[in-house]
Amino acid sequence: MARLKFLCDSDRCIECNACVTACKNEHEVPWGINRRRVVTLNDGKPGERSISMACMHCTDAPCAAVCPVSCFYGTADALVLHDKDLCIGCGYCFYACPFGAPQYPKVGNFGGRGKMDKCTYCAGGPQQDNTPVEYMQYGSNRIAEGKLPLCAEMCSTKALLAGDGDIIAGIYKERVQQRGFGSGAWGWRTAYKQELSV
Amino acid sequence: MRDGSDGMAQARRRFLGGLGLAAVAAPAAAFEADGSTGGLPPRKETEAEKRAPRYRETDHVRVFYRTNRY
Repeated sequence: MARLKFLCDSDRCIECNACVTACKNEHEVPWGINRRRVVTLNDGKPGERSISMACMHCTDAPCAAVCPVSCFYGTADALVLHDKDLCIGCGYCFYACPFGAPQYPKVGNFGGRGKMDKCTYCAGGPQQDNTPVEYMQYGSNRIAEGKLPLCAEMCSTKALLAGDGDIIAGIYKERVQQRGFGSGAWGWRTAYKQELSV
Repeated sequence: MRDGSDGMAQARRRFLGGLGLAAVAAPAAAFEADGSTGGLPPRKETEAEKRAPRYRETDHVRVFYRTNRY
């Protein structure tokens, strides 16, 4: 069975932010939330790197481990999704996530954040596929339509890869063989652990 | 003169009434963008449907893989 992953080829990313814009537009993400962001390291200096970041859908997801209401669940193809009807907006997942993926729509005077929002891998949520209520809560469900996340499909330099982890790793390997090893598959060692330790 | 002051009073009432409505409507609009169902009836998947594999390797996906090899 396919294990869905993201891979950002930072040797190709040109920090155009098209992935960020595509995501916000596709899912009508609330104002103030970015499910995906482009992070630039050593900005303006020789050798700067840009990485497109969102939820990595980790194998041993720390957000799910700390959630007090167990609103996270994993699918058979290893996506980490959450149920907004259960979320209480406590913010624990935000502190636990090594990638800063969880976002909150509100900043209230008494600490109210609203229900957590994050990348769904364009796979919706626990509402039935492609229903108006699913779109309202989680955005569009491209995976149910037989497509891949729009951020990756939109990427003009093909820096952002999404899909079956084995296939995109093969694509990346071909690139490395042609051009030499660059910065590596950023984040993979953190997100996709082969062995779990407790 | 009296008609004119009545008209002003009514305009002021409409303005203040509008302010009150905005004070109620603004938090309601914020709640809509808060992750709720927005008034739509929920249509939850079963536990098995939630965890079922969602990915399918369609022609669309195969084209994505092919073009990323360039």
